[in-house]
Amino acid sequence: MPGETNHDSLQEKRWLTALNEGDTKALGGIYELYGERIFRYTFRMLGNRSDAEDITAETFLRVLRRSGELRADGAFRTWLFRIARNLCIDKMRQHKLMELPPDASIAGTEEKSTLRITVQQALSELPAEYREPLVLCDLEEMAAREAAEVLKISVPALKSRLYRGRRALRDKLGGTQE
Amino acid sequence: MNTIYEKLVDMYAGEELAEDLNAELEELAATNPTLKSDMTSLRATVSQLQNSDDGAYTEETHARILMKIYARAGEMQQGAPEPIYLQYQLPMSG
Repeated sequence: MPGETNHDSLQEKRWLTALNEGDTKALGGIYELYGERIFRYTFRMLGNRSDAEDITAETFLRVLRRSGELRADGAFRTWLFRIARNLCIDKMRQHKLMELPPDASIAGTEEKSTLRITVQQALSELPAEYREPLVLCDLEEMAAREAAEVLKISVPALKSRLYRGRRALRDKLGGTQE
Repeated sequence: MNTIYEKLVDMYAGEELAEDLNAELEELAATNPTLKSDMTSLRATVSQLQNSDDGAYTEETHARILMKIYARAGEMQQGAPEPIYLQYQLPMSG
């Protein structure tokens, strides 16, 4: 994962131990460590800021609810992404039922904003089975093994979806290539 | 295109190839326009994706999510059972 250090891992251990011992303030510390990554993931999966904020908050509340079972054994981050993923899937099912459009109001300079919206739109048009590996591996720079664990699939299956997803995204972006 | 080439191009796009294989494929692409186009466009797609910082996570986003977490965590704690010494004691029967 980008920017991850030994310091982060020590912090994670400290916050998880504190939370496990009933210190609910530790949840804020865990949010500081992972909040941005989880939000980015949910935003790219859902394409809607408001939903992404709700799902991110709910992901951390699940951590609080299960704080008695937490172990700082290195698998926490994978578990966290898995919770976020399951919540995103539920939300996408609701959207499918209600046919809500994705949110394209992303701030930034006009040119960059166009690029973001184009990529975000192209991503949102891909089937979830392609979008997920692209978001985890290419955007979040997660290692293939960890991404496969989050998605509960094998590494070869992940790579196959990732490669197909990249080709599908290329087709969608078509005209915007240099 | 040949399946083996496709796999190599997929790995090339994700920068997963060993240096020597990478160079060999680029050399091959110099004389094969179809292969070259596939390699270039796929790597450009990955690069475009990686550079598409959505800019969505702002300080306001951070604060809003944190407020939601604290508000709901507070509700959860209010819903927790009271300590035993505060609970209403049923009268002893019999």
